[in-house]
Amino acid sequence: MRHFFRTAVGAAVCTLGLSLAAQAQTAPPAGRLLASNCFQCHGTNGKGPGFDKLTGESSSEIYKDLKEFASGKEGSGIMAKHAMGYTDAQLQSLSNWLSTQR
Amino acid sequence: MDRRFFLSAGGILLAAASPLAWADDKKKTGSGSGSSTSSSTSTSTAPTGSAIKSRVIVIGGGMAGATVAKYLRLWGDGIAVTLIDRNSSYVSNIMSSMVLTGQRTLTSLTYSYSKLQSAYGVTVVKGEVSNVDPSKGQVQLADGTILTADRIVMAPGIEFDDVPGLGSSDRMPHAWQAGPQTTLLQKQLSAMTAGGTVILTIPQKPYRCPPGPYERACLIGDWLKTYKKGSQLIVLDANSDYVAERDNFVAGFKLHNIKYVPNSAVQSVDPGTSSTGLMSIKTTDGVTHQANVVNMIPRQKAGGLVVKTGLANATEGRFAGVNQLTYASTVSGAGKVHIIGDSSATDQPKAGHIANQEAKVCADAIVRSLAGLQPDPAPVTNSACYSTITMSQASWLMAMYQYDPAAAKMALAAVPGVAASTGWNADNFEDMNTWFSALMADSFA
Repeated sequence: MRHFFRTAVGAAVCTLGLSLAAQAQTAPPAGRLLASNCFQCHGTNGKGPGFDKLTGESSSEIYKDLKEFASGKEGSGIMAKHAMGYTDAQLQSLSNWLSTQR
Repeated sequence: MDRRFFLSAGGILLAAASPLAWADDKKKTGSGSGSSTSSSTSTSTAPTGSAIKSRVIVIGGGMAGATVAKYLRLWGDGIAVTLIDRNSSYVSNIMSSMVLTGQRTLTSLTYSYSKLQSAYGVTVVKGEVSNVDPSKGQVQLADGTILTADRIVMAPGIEFDDVPGLGSSDRMPHAWQAGPQTTLLQKQLSAMTAGGTVILTIPQKPYRCPPGPYERACLIGDWLKTYKKGSQLIVLDANSDYVAERDNFVAGFKLHNIKYVPNSAVQSVDPGTSSTGLMSIKTTDGVTHQANVVNMIPRQKAGGLVVKTGLANATEGRFAGVNQLTYASTVSGAGKVHIIGDSSATDQPKAGHIANQEAKVCADAIVRSLAGLQPDPAPVTNSACYSTITMSQASWLMAMYQYDPAAAKMALAAVPGVAASTGWNADNFEDMNTWFSALMADSFA
């Protein structure tokens, strides 16, 4: 039992290490491609020019704003309609990525 | 040495002897050129020598081509990107209907490739592509230069069908590719005597910018009321109904007294001989219409290079079938050629805003592919635009697309699907200008 546990942990660490190394070199960051849908109106990487800049907010703040748009609380304008088009997981993912942009 | 060997060796020699497209070119402008990117790597400078890990050639510097070149440099690692266009700058089709009403100039709608060069290290080549060899990854220019790359992205936009009877007459401009044709139509409208008849024809879908012809009709209709009193605008639509944003355009056509004729495709035309005489248009419903000014927007197909390369395998041979996760051609053996924007066959509209997003999906897929990774399995794209219903007020239209794995295509998201503003107003007109500036900056700067 103990032996199995150690082996499993070792394998897990090894896999994690590999995937982190691979990610660092190659895999695009999660949420970036989704977030790029925002760039046409809010600027490349959300930094303008355009409508409101999307930088300088935490992931949870951005996500909360988007959920308010998606719920219709902010009316039925063009931004609300866009927010409605994503799954909840997609909104979280793109919010996480946008929060890395300063 | 046998001839075949000699020829292929010559090809290699040519490729090696054409460093202009790959060199860390001397056109690079001075200090501070990379300030608009925050990347810690040298996104702003084209990679050279051993720093080049892979090469991508982009053919066509419109909305899709410019964006994919920029984002390959922004997101890629050591990707040398060469953008080829026959022109040294791009003239925006978006907003170009306002050149007809004198509200915009073509100069104000012209975008250079200098930022792509200076801020992103894209190598820009002005030239005419004569041939693409998908299996070899080679692009041949009209001057004989052969460029070789790991991936080729084609974004040549659209070409127009010939109109029977029109010949080489310039009396019925399409003005659907902003440039000299736009100026021509603007002059003809301006020279028309008040009380005249203007006809705008809408081709069978799919065509570039679904709401565009209706938007232009509204704009011209409003302009005629002010500047050419008593004139009549007739819209001949090859389609059975308004192709986009029906509610707003029905109301807009009513507001401007525009006569709308559906199921009315152009069969043949007679542009006449004098520069002021009436022109006639015979339509498939058996009617012959006469007009003083005709905006003839013909049926469309993919840019000629896509057809010539044998990649127009969809939509009755008009557009290019693509894998909608990567925009790679679905033609056997052509998987390293990607087709984005108006030339590709998808359910997404042919329009600049979504072409920009297709370009990002394509750039991301190429970056992953060059790193030996699979494409993002669930891309999202969005389309957004504003339509001038009057010369000072606008509506908006949008659509969202999610990848549908069962159908293997980008499909309208169940919510919101397609959505439009209820009516139009001056605020939207102002937002339109903000949107346009942002979109062009994301594509060209």
